[in-house]
Amino acid sequence: MLTAPEAPVFQSVDEVQERFRRAGYIAGRRTATVVYLAARMERPILVEGPAGVGKTELAKTLADVSGRPLIRLQCYEGLDEGKALYEWQYAKQLLYTQLLRERIGELIADAPSLPEAVARIAGQEDAFFSFRFLSPRPLLAALLAERPVVLLVDEIDKAEPEFEAFLLEVLSDFQVSVPELGTLRARHIPLVVLTSNNARELGDGLKRRCLHLFIDFPSPAEELEIIRLKVPEISERLARAVVAAVQRVRALELRKPPSVSEALDWARSLVVLNAERLEPALVDATLSLLVKYEKDLERVRGALDRVLAE
Amino acid sequence: MDARLLEFIGELRRAELRISPSEAVDALLAAAEVGLDDRETFRAALAATLVKSARDQETFDRLFDLYFLDLRALDRGLRTALGPDDPGVQALLASLLDGDGPELDPLTAVLLTGEAPALEAAVRAEARRVGLERLAHALQLGVYARRVADGLDLAAVERDLAALLRWLEARGLDPGQLARVRSYLELRLEGLRRLIRRHLEREVERRAWRRGERLVAERLADTPLFALTADQVTEMKAVVARLARRIRDALALRQRRARRGRIDTRRTTRRSLAWGGVPMELVLRRRRRDRPKLVTICDVSDSVRNASRFMLQLVWSLQDCFSRVRSFVFVSEIAEVTEAFDAYPVERAIEWALRAASVDYHCRSDFGYAFSRFVASELDTLDRRTTVLVLGDARNNYNDPQAWALRMIRERVRGVIWLNPEGQWGWGVGDSVMPLYATACDVVRECRTVRQLAEVVDELAHRWWRPRR
Repeated sequence: MLTAPEAPVFQSVDEVQERFRRAGYIAGRRTATVVYLAARMERPILVEGPAGVGKTELAKTLADVSGRPLIRLQCYEGLDEGKALYEWQYAKQLLYTQLLRERIGELIADAPSLPEAVARIAGQEDAFFSFRFLSPRPLLAALLAERPVVLLVDEIDKAEPEFEAFLLEVLSDFQVSVPELGTLRARHIPLVVLTSNNARELGDGLKRRCLHLFIDFPSPAEELEIIRLKVPEISERLARAVVAAVQRVRALELRKPPSVSEALDWARSLVVLNAERLEPALVDATLSLLVKYEKDLERVRGALDRVLAE
Repeated sequence: MDARLLEFIGELRRAELRISPSEAVDALLAAAEVGLDDRETFRAALAATLVKSARDQETFDRLFDLYFLDLRALDRGLRTALGPDDPGVQALLASLLDGDGPELDPLTAVLLTGEAPALEAAVRAEARRVGLERLAHALQLGVYARRVADGLDLAAVERDLAALLRWLEARGLDPGQLARVRSYLELRLEGLRRLIRRHLEREVERRAWRRGERLVAERLADTPLFALTADQVTEMKAVVARLARRIRDALALRQRRARRGRIDTRRTTRRSLAWGGVPMELVLRRRRRDRPKLVTICDVSDSVRNASRFMLQLVWSLQDCFSRVRSFVFVSEIAEVTEAFDAYPVERAIEWALRAASVDYHCRSDFGYAFSRFVASELDTLDRRTTVLVLGDARNNYNDPQAWALRMIRERVRGVIWLNPEGQWGWGVGDSVMPLYATACDVVRECRTVRQLAEVVDELAHRWWRPRR
């Protein structure tokens, strides 16, 4: 059963932005609005965007900020309901049957006929198909949790459309039916975040159900703020230089443009190396932290003086 | 507000965004939740509920700007148009208005208090009443502006203002103050006229844009590829990208379905040991992934360049649906450009293939020579899982067609598919040797326009690469 509604997670969009910032996540106006709406309207958020712009981080921060535990379901090709929802622990059930063999023997010892014996065992089914032998997987765990949680369904685009349809069912009603146990309803409606890298087009049903959020690479100002926040040791001058360089590298039409997380790695490495400014030699040596493909590296090296132009 | 929002949603639908009733309801809820105070928040709330695909974002933003004016900016605009606020006059008028002044038209009253949103609402309601269906061109603005003004009865407002001034004069207002009030009222009226005009201008823009957008897509899809201008080629790229995406989804789905198979007895037995020989879990025999190989051979001479470009773009986008894609371009010498496709983003890869490969781009097409060279160097790499896709107009400039080479290729592979960007009526006429080559192909299709290209590739994805049972 649903418990009485508790105090709303957020009071206003500004509050979302402020609390996320304190938790170390720079949320743009759009992001904050969507998070606020998701909490108010009890809708899942579908986050799309290039790799490494903080989609997963959004869910983690949301859990952090709202003080809820994070339950994560990583999707992959071949993920099925069994792995996402629940599994019966066959081995444990078998083990118990073995250990209880004598008790079971007693139970049916004086049964006059075989059908009677079967009926008696059937009468005891509940003992074997109970929560004791059910191991809840992330989805069920999120529904049955004692207190509200944040459920992160990561890279939903990696899973098959069938799984997506199933997930849609769970997310619309927040209930699942386990044939042996009946219908299980969510104790609390979880805050759900789904992320997608757009490996394939998601189904319309799921998109309709969700609030949609597209996170793109941050603007220079936002990126500067992120770097200052995450790499506090960095000098103002270096931070600005890093942001400018990263933004220019992104404009180079690479196979995989550097993401925010890679920019952060790079900034950290520069701090560790005690860099004061972006010397070409130093940049060349650390470039592989920023750009991951050989061809891209060549390309950036070729355009290095443009990238580092003041 | 809700009516306005629903109108906006209708507009989005007409711009071909798919918005379901439940999403519309969500949008209303979300709008109520965040309110109108902050325009960007309001925009984000609507976008989150209505725009479910990144490519619709631009359409949304443009329509949003046309629809939801920045009321504060408008208010500011109106005020600046009126010149600096004149608190003295305002206070004077306010005291007169709730006192025993002359009977005023409601619109005059609103105009005097100068609430931009209220004025805007009045203008919009009137415009709707007048009916703007036939407003399509900026030249009609004047006529429609007059109609709206008449509908609002601006003449009555003018009379009101004149009466007001006379009344003030009769009350013994000194001439200096009177002049101030007069110019103030005139400016207000002028502001209202401007408001009407601006509303109509936006309306024209909105219509023109909507019509244009739809036309572009349709007209382009049916324009012969060779006739596309450089700008149109740019627009077309987006269309082709969308197409590629659709085909890719279809292919990916097919491959996943194909993975289901019969029971693998050996592995099922092995796994059943955990449950004392009871086959609790069935293991299916994985079908060997039937990811086809693809070899494309594109003519990149000037006459078919656009067709090749879109073909290459499609091939690039579909790369990961095949276990191996190799791409060749030729004019007469043939060169492999696969490497560029692996390493570069689509634009650069194509530019490179169309310009920089080790092919002499200025000689005349020689299909026969290209095929014979291909046979000499690549025949051994072909196998029964490979499909060869040739794109060219088969205009061989009276060179030796060497159709035997194509036949040899066909014997080694699953099939040869020929896409010809020239209309069917031209095949076999003049230096076209299409009929000769056609006998060495499994499928020959005309693809003069992007629409045809789409149909062909769609057909291939659904029929040709269907897993054999």
